[in-house]
Amino acid sequence: MTTKANLPVTAGSIVVPYGHVIGNEKWRGSEVAQRLQGKVRLIFEDGLGLVDFHLSNRTCILLISEADLVAGDEFKRRLVRFRNASSLRGIVIVEKTQISGQYYSGVQKLVVLELGMVLLPVANQGEASQLIIQLVREQSRERGANPFLRRQRAPLAEPAVLRAVQHIPGVGKTKALLLLQRFGSIHRLCNAPVNELEQVVGQTVAQQIYTFLHS
Amino acid sequence: LQPAAEVSAQGPGPSPCILADSREVSSGPGVISCLRAVHGLPVRVCPLGSSDYIVSSRLAVDRVFQSELQSPGNRSKLSQRLQRLQGVFERICVIVETDRVRPGETSRFFQRTQHYDGVLSALVQAGIRILFSSCQEETAALLKELALLEHRKDAALPVPAEPPGPRRHVLDFYLSIPSLSYGAALSLCRSFGSIAAAANSSVPALAAGARLSRPQAEELHRFLRHDFDVQLLPQPLPAKGKS
Repeated sequence: MTTKANLPVTAGSIVVPYGHVIGNEKWRGSEVAQRLQGKVRLIFEDGLGLVDFHLSNRTCILLISEADLVAGDEFKRRLVRFRNASSLRGIVIVEKTQISGQYYSGVQKLVVLELGMVLLPVANQGEASQLIIQLVREQSRERGANPFLRRQRAPLAEPAVLRAVQHIPGVGKTKALLLLQRFGSIHRLCNAPVNELEQVVGQTVAQQIYTFLHS
Repeated sequence: LQPAAEVSAQGPGPSPCILADSREVSSGPGVISCLRAVHGLPVRVCPLGSSDYIVSSRLAVDRVFQSELQSPGNRSKLSQRLQRLQGVFERICVIVETDRVRPGETSRFFQRTQHYDGVLSALVQAGIRILFSSCQEETAALLKELALLEHRKDAALPVPAEPPGPRRHVLDFYLSIPSLSYGAALSLCRSFGSIAAAANSSVPALAAGARLSRPQAEELHRFLRHDFDVQLLPQPLPAKGKS
């Protein structure tokens, strides 16, 4: 898995149909490729450069083996070159084993915190293929089906506005409702002079509200 | 063993502050004490509710155990939490921590499930940052890294994280606004002399004062000027005095 320094980063213009994976020729016959076959449509191509697998959605995978980790800094140069040269979203899958585990936190700092890429650990090539299968499935799914993406915003502000006004000392629900019905918004309540507040809540509380909003 | 701590705070100004949710005192005491003792960072424990940690004005961090991602049982809870966070924070990070081995228990063998890979894939696709940690000490080190990174990007939290005395009520008022994070509410307290001053501010002034993104500042501006219509209250009126 040595990477020659003069390899191009990526063909760039690769279009990957949904549910497909385009794999670097060097993985042909490997365990990860064998396990992917039958689960996703895997096509091998030459000249993918630094990238190991292209997924659809302009995402690609760089696979760092246990041996790469132990061998030292070569894989770091590869990741930095990828990051500098490619606009694709890079997911780095790293083989974290008992032997390579000690390097993980350093790699995580580089990949996630400094390069801003995604880093996911697996224990072996078999797990890597299972993860890739899920990544492909997730991408083929509708965006609305993602459980972690935000749904529509809260529809009505009324209960929240009422609750906020009740946080003014001396104001409970009844007074909050009276104030909002008279002044309409928190903004207008803030700009109401004391004498207008007095018409709604009485002198002491009016003064209290005014002081709270203006100090 | 954890790496030796570099206590020297890099970046501009004093070291950044981290807010921790009160529940973390019991579920992650090692994280909080390590942040304070080893990394020398000011940690404020507050009832955040929404996330486990806030490390900057725009970044919230949730700490989950690896076992929580293994089975479908916890997924809806996690997704609700993260969806709510997305309404309040620009960036969200999840730290996946290896489960603690209790005394007398042999190290549990981690059996990776398809569901686990599915959750990771969905998190990646949703743009949520994922970090892995083997223990509470490592989680603390990661939180420190995140806070320093945000500090360098000038998004750090204001340091004395709690306004004194009567200003506490003003903070509570801001905290009741649904789209505001704890950090944004603190910044509002600090940047605006009064609630009236904030309510009379323009969107750019709110964005700068509360360190909000433009859309978040617009939402706050809209909220403060929202025309209240009593007809739109759910019936019967919700009896929620305390939050």
